[in-house]
Amino acid sequence: MKMKQLYKYLFAAILILQLTACNNNTDAEQLFNETPTARLNQQKSELNDALLSSQYGWKAVYFTDNTVLGGYTHLFRFADDGTVQMASDFDADTKTYKSEYAIQVGSTVSLTFTTKNRIHLLSDSNNYPIPALRAKGYLGDFQFLYYGQENGEIIFKTNRNNRELRFVKATAEDWINLPQNLEMEKNVIGGEERPLFRLLETNDGTTVHKFDFSFTAVTRFANSNSIESGYSVSYNMGIGYTPTGIVVSPAVEVGGQKLSDFTYNDADGSFTATGTGGVSAVIKYTAKPLVLTDDYKFLLPGQPLAWFGFFVDDYTIDSPANSSLFYAELEKVNAALPAGQSIASIQIYGNHSIGTFIYYTFVGRGALQHHVTIEEDAVGKKMILKHKSWNGNTTVATPAFLASIDKYFMDPEGIYVKAESFRLFYSDPVYTFTSASSPFRMTTWKLQ
Amino acid sequence: MKLLKYNKIAVLALISTTLFSCGSDDLPGESQLDFTQPEKTSLDNWIDGTYLNPYNINVQYKWNQNTVDNSRFLFPPAVDKVKPALEIVETIWLKSYAAIGGPDFVKKIAPREIVLVGGVNLNSVGTRTLGLAEGGQRVTLFETDYIDQTDRANVSEFIHTIQHEYIHILNQNKPFDEKTWKTLTPGGYTADWYNYEIPESNELGFITSYARSNINEDFAETASMILIYSKTEYAAFLAGIQSPFALQALKAKEAIVVKYFKEAFNMDFYALRDEAEKNTTSVIN
Repeated sequence: MKMKQLYKYLFAAILILQLTACNNNTDAEQLFNETPTARLNQQKSELNDALLSSQYGWKAVYFTDNTVLGGYTHLFRFADDGTVQMASDFDADTKTYKSEYAIQVGSTVSLTFTTKNRIHLLSDSNNYPIPALRAKGYLGDFQFLYYGQENGEIIFKTNRNNRELRFVKATAEDWINLPQNLEMEKNVIGGEERPLFRLLETNDGTTVHKFDFSFTAVTRFANSNSIESGYSVSYNMGIGYTPTGIVVSPAVEVGGQKLSDFTYNDADGSFTATGTGGVSAVIKYTAKPLVLTDDYKFLLPGQPLAWFGFFVDDYTIDSPANSSLFYAELEKVNAALPAGQSIASIQIYGNHSIGTFIYYTFVGRGALQHHVTIEEDAVGKKMILKHKSWNGNTTVATPAFLASIDKYFMDPEGIYVKAESFRLFYSDPVYTFTSASSPFRMTTWKLQ
Repeated sequence: MKLLKYNKIAVLALISTTLFSCGSDDLPGESQLDFTQPEKTSLDNWIDGTYLNPYNINVQYKWNQNTVDNSRFLFPPAVDKVKPALEIVETIWLKSYAAIGGPDFVKKIAPREIVLVGGVNLNSVGTRTLGLAEGGQRVTLFETDYIDQTDRANVSEFIHTIQHEYIHILNQNKPFDEKTWKTLTPGGYTADWYNYEIPESNELGFITSYARSNINEDFAETASMILIYSKTEYAAFLAGIQSPFALQALKAKEAIVVKYFKEAFNMDFYALRDEAEKNTTSVIN
C-alpha cells in the first residue's frame, strides 16, 4: 500500500514534469539575448573599436587616490597591432614611448598595459613620494576594467582600488602642449617673488568663505581648511596640471556646483574656477597672514626678556617655514664675507638688560648687535623695528655684508610674529618672523 | 497489483520520454572564445627556442595579474631587459645543472613558468623580495630592469636569487633532512632577521641574515651562497668565522647540502659550484 502510494506520487510528479518541460513560453523577462561569452566578446570588440577610434588617441588625468595624491596626465594612442604610444607629465620626460597593451577578459573586460611604459611609473613600490606610501609608490594601476562609454568618453574602473578613470578624446594640441603641464606646476608651487600666504576663497553668489591653502609638490596634493571660527569646512584636493591651469579632484563644491577646472592668471598668480550664478572659487596670494596673532607682543617694550634664535647648523635651517628669499639672503651674507667667514646665527633679544637687539653671530669673526626700538601696530597686529645703533655706537653705518638681510627686519611695514604648531626636533616652541612687505620669513626657537 | 504493474510501465515510459525529449536542441557550434595567438616578436621566438621548446618552461614578461600579487606595486619589465636577464638565467642556472646533473635534469625538475617583474618588490619594513618560488612550479624574479651585466655585484645578486629560488624548487620536489638541520642552530631563527648585520648572523652559524628567517630559507641560502662563492672565496669566508660553534654549524649545514644533492639527485655539489663559477665568469665578462 505504501509502495503503491509512492508510485502514485512519482507518477504525478513525472507527469507534471512532462507537461511543463520544453516550454518556450517563459514569462520571465529576458535581460540578455546573448550568452555571457558572446556579451564579453562584444564588449571586448566595443572597447577595442573605441580605443582605436580617436584620431589623436585618448587623454586621462589619473588621480590614483585623491585623498593623498594629485593627478597625472597620460596621453595614449592605440594601434591595432597591440601597441600603444604613451606620454605622461609624471616627470620632466614628456616624450612619447611605445609599448604593448592588451584587452583581457577576466571577470570582466579590461585594458591592460602589458609591457613597461610611462604609466607604470605610478606603480613602483620603490619610488614613493612620502614615507606613508612606502612600498606603495604612487598607488597607481595599469589594468583598467571597462565600464562602458558616456558622451564620447570611455569609463574605466581601476583594477586594484576600484576608482573611476575616464579617457577623453585627446587633441593634437594635447600632445604638443603636454610639457606645459610642468611649466604650470611651477605656478602651482609659486615663485619666490610671490607673497608667502595663500588662500582659497569660495563665493556661492552671496557668501564668501576663506580657507588657508598649502600645496605639496611631491604628492601634488593641497590641504585647505577654513580659517573662520565656527565654520569647519575643509577642501583637501589632488591637483592635476593642464597647460592653462589646474584640474582638481575631488571638485570644490560651492553652492551645490562642482568646480574642478581652474584657470591660471599670471598677473597675480591666482587660479580661478567659475560656475554659474556668481559661484566661484579662487586660489590666490595674499601678503598678509590669513590669521593674525598677538604673538608679536612678547617683544614690545615693558615685557620680560624674550629670546628667539635661528641657527645655521641646527634644525632651524631645515624648517619648511623659512622662505626662499630668506635662504637667498643668507647666501648673500656669506658671499660678501671674506673666505673662511660665514654667518652662524640670527637671534632676537627683546627687553634684555642691555636693550632690544638683533644679535648676528659668525664663524670666523666677532658677533654684532643691531640695537633697535620696537613699535606696535595694534591694528595690523605686527611690530615695527627701528634702527638705534650697531653695538651701541649710533654713528656706525650698517656693515655692508649685512645691509641686504637686515633691511627685511627693518621693514617699515613691520614684521608678523607667529607661534607655529610644529616643532623642530626639540620641544622648544617655534616662532616665525615674516616681513610684511616681502616674502621673507625666518624660523626660530623661542629660547626664553 | 495490476495497477502497480501498469504504473511501473507508465513511469518507465514517461522517464524515457523525459530523457529523450528536447532532443532537437542544436549541437554546440564553434567555440566563441578567442583563441587567436598574439603575433610573436623576435623576443618571443627567442624565448620559445631557448626555454619553451628545450625545457618546457614558459617565460612570462607581459603583465598578467593572475601570476603576481595584486596588493604589491609592481610593473612589467622593460622589454629590452628581458633577454639579458634570461640569458643570465640560462647560462648560470640551466647550463650548470645540465652539465653536472645531466641534460635532462632541469627538464624534469624545473619551474614550469618563470615570471619576470621589472620593479623592486619593496616590503613595508624596508626589505626587498628578490624572488619567489611557488609550489615547485613557478619562479618569479624581480628587479630585472636593474640588471647591469657589467657590474659583478649586481649580477651576483641576481644569480643569487635564481640559485636560491631553484633550491626551493628542488626542496619542493624532494625534501632535505629537516630533522637534523633543525638541531644545528635552533636559537638563531627570527622573524626580524633584517635587523641584524650579516657578520653578526655569520657568527651565529648562518650564512646570511635572511637565512635566519626559517630552516627552508636557511637551506636555500646556504646552498645558493656556496654556489655563488668560488671555492677560495668560501674557504676565506669560513676562515673568517671567529666562533667555533658557528664554524661547526656552517660546516654541518654544508655537509647536509652536499649529502642532499648526492642522495636526492646523485649530483656532486662541489662540481656544480665549480661549473656555476665558470659560467658566472663567462656572463660577467
